[in-house]
Amino acid sequence: MTSTRQKIHASVLALATLLVACGPTRPPPDVLGAAQLRLAQARSDGAPTYAPLELRFAEEKFDQARDAAADRDYRLGAQLADQSTVNSELAIIKSRLGKLRESVDVLTRENAAITRSLPEAGEGGGQ
Amino acid sequence: MTMRWMHALGFALLIVASGAQAQSRDVDHERLSRSLAQLEADAKLAPSVGGEIAAARAALLVLLEDSRGKKREHALYIAERRVDIAWAAAQVVDFSNRESELKRERDRLLLASARYEAEMARRELERQRMLSQIRAEEMERAALDAEQARLLGEQDTAAARLEADQSMRVAAAQAREAELARQEAELAGASVSALRARLDTMQATRGASGMQMSLGDVAFGSGQSALRAEAGGAVANLVDFVNRNPGQPIRIEGHTDASGSDSANLSLSQRRADAVRDALVAAGVEAARITAVGRGSANPVDTNQTAEGRARNRRVDVIIEDKQ
Repeated sequence: MTSTRQKIHASVLALATLLVACGPTRPPPDVLGAAQLRLAQARSDGAPTYAPLELRFAEEKFDQARDAAADRDYRLGAQLADQSTVNSELAIIKSRLGKLRESVDVLTRENAAITRSLPEAGEGGGQ
Repeated sequence: MTMRWMHALGFALLIVASGAQAQSRDVDHERLSRSLAQLEADAKLAPSVGGEIAAARAALLVLLEDSRGKKREHALYIAERRVDIAWAAAQVVDFSNRESELKRERDRLLLASARYEAEMARRELERQRMLSQIRAEEMERAALDAEQARLLGEQDTAAARLEADQSMRVAAAQAREAELARQEAELAGASVSALRARLDTMQATRGASGMQMSLGDVAFGSGQSALRAEAGGAVANLVDFVNRNPGQPIRIEGHTDASGSDSANLSLSQRRADAVRDALVAAGVEAARITAVGRGSANPVDTNQTAEGRARNRRVDVIIEDKQ
């Protein structure tokens, strides 16, 4: 009897544990918020120009995360929010890279133009 | 028997499937780990992106732990982005370094350009200054030429004026000279006339030794013993005077003023007396009747203190001696 009860109790506990482990969990409230902030930062940092693909991924993942949260699938929502965030971070860093590339191109052209405007070494400089 | 073989086959397929899944997971992990290791090997960039590399490493650890299902897909997704982020961050560092280098290069070039432009501006200023100086010198030279031309013109005019003035002065001088010559001639004529008048108007007077006639000093040149040409009339008067008393002895006495030494005066008076004697003899008076003596300044007729008195003392007396 005791053994049977113990088995029943163990089964119930295991089922409860399984239900708790596999059931929908509410994502921390700052996960979506953090993803949204990153997305806004990516947009303001020039991602629409310099990293449009990464920005689109971030937006899609964010939309999917919001949909999942709305469907109370908080686990998926949290994963998608993380994916959106990491895409936003990639978009931000690529935007910085794009701006630096442009700056380097501009500086290279400017330096070349200034160099062309100067006389040959020894003709007019150094006096 | 058949059931056993089927179970064995199913178990083998399960083993193969699980092995394939493990191999697929390892491939993704290895690919990403290799990529990350390559980035970490870059000694220049890796130290600057340590945070991104650590985040990627953590994501790879999660990938290693989450080996199945959707969690693995999620972990792989995150790990791939983290590795991409690490690489992008490294590129950012690389481009940032290049940007800094280019900015330094631009600053250097701008400085060189500014120096070059300053040098060009300085040269342009120097050129403008030299041009201004050349123009000023040209203007000064032109002004000098004009001044020189003006001075030459003035000099020509002045020279012509001077020449005219000189000609006028020469003409005036010549006129004055002619006038002076004329006046001198007139004066000479007047003097001769006056002299001649004085000589011609000699009068015979009674002296201590007899009648006598005095020939004034004007008959002789100053300090001379020869008779002047103008004294011809006076000599003729003397000849007439002595001829009016024929046969009577004639004494001729020469006198001087008190100027000079006695011996000189005596000699001069003697020579003058001789000159008158010679003139009378030349005019036909008998030489035997004539005695000529020089008295010097011993017998003055007037004072020797005044010019007029000395003039009267200088004389030659022709005396018709009374018969004894």
